[in-house]
Amino acid sequence: MSTLHVVSHSPFTDSRLASCLRVCASQDAILLCGDGAYGLHNPALQTRGVKVFVLAEDMQARDLPLPDWADSVDYPGFVQLSIDYDKVNTWL
Amino acid sequence: MSKSLLVISRQAPWSGPGAREALDIVLAGGAFDLPIGLLFMDDGVFQLAPHQDAKALQQKDLSANLQALGLFGVDDVFACSHSLAERGLASPASAQPLNSAEISTLIDRYDQVMTL
Amino acid sequence: MNTLTVGEHTLELDKDGYLVDLNQWSTDVANALAAAEPLELTPAHWEILELLRQFYTEFQLSPATRPLIKYTALKLGAEKGNSLHLNKLFNGTPAKLAAKLAGLPRPTNCL
Repeated sequence: MSTLHVVSHSPFTDSRLASCLRVCASQDAILLCGDGAYGLHNPALQTRGVKVFVLAEDMQARDLPLPDWADSVDYPGFVQLSIDYDKVNTWL
Repeated sequence: MSKSLLVISRQAPWSGPGAREALDIVLAGGAFDLPIGLLFMDDGVFQLAPHQDAKALQQKDLSANLQALGLFGVDDVFACSHSLAERGLASPASAQPLNSAEISTLIDRYDQVMTL
Repeated sequence: MNTLTVGEHTLELDKDGYLVDLNQWSTDVANALAAAEPLELTPAHWEILELLRQFYTEFQLSPATRPLIKYTALKLGAEKGNSLHLNKLFNGTPAKLAAKLAGLPRPTNCL
């Protein structure tokens, strides 16, 4: 089964993204939102080799460029992702 | 057949309501016979320290509650071995240690996952 | 405000009839709480109330029905640790009623 991991905390002050990266499976994906979008600056995310999505408005608000290893989604896209994956694990 | 639920508890026991809330979800699920698992990860592994003293902070004793998991029908209790090692903690008696790959498989196995 | 009079003392109860100050519990209080149900406490009841207080000391929480049954079976054997016996003693809601009479908080994991 595939899991969409939703991370909304910056990886530079918090361990959620690091822990998520340790335990996510190759068929999983990570959706960055809120301060989680700063994860785009985290090289570990690129090298981990799982699919990465970022919520477009949170990325734009923070002046973050979209790297070629990530995709941006809007809210309807977020909803679609949560349907496409078997379950959603939000790192509250 | 009810959907199975894995609760990942990653808050330290005395830092706020997170640890208590995660445990309450698990106990409630167990009381209703849901297939439920509990994984301690990150600072959540501190909840497994055996000699915590809740009275010192005039709070309820979370670690005493943890001992009741079996009676609530919750037998799948795990701890992240990476988080334990990172904190210099030995493997706890009350939870089965799992490495990152095993946790990945664990998450895969449950219908729903909730991280608090 | 809900109150319970035991001898010369007036004790405060919450809206569901549980003791507000659990330290005020005594066997007299238990009898008075039972009388309000109404229920007459027999040795079979007391055995369970004592068990509940032991459970609370050990785990710092009030058991829901299933763990109460399990714990009773563990400590007193299967002929007492079953829903029939406990339901009969405590008017069909053993976890809630027995916790109330034993001076424990309302079980939170119990509808």
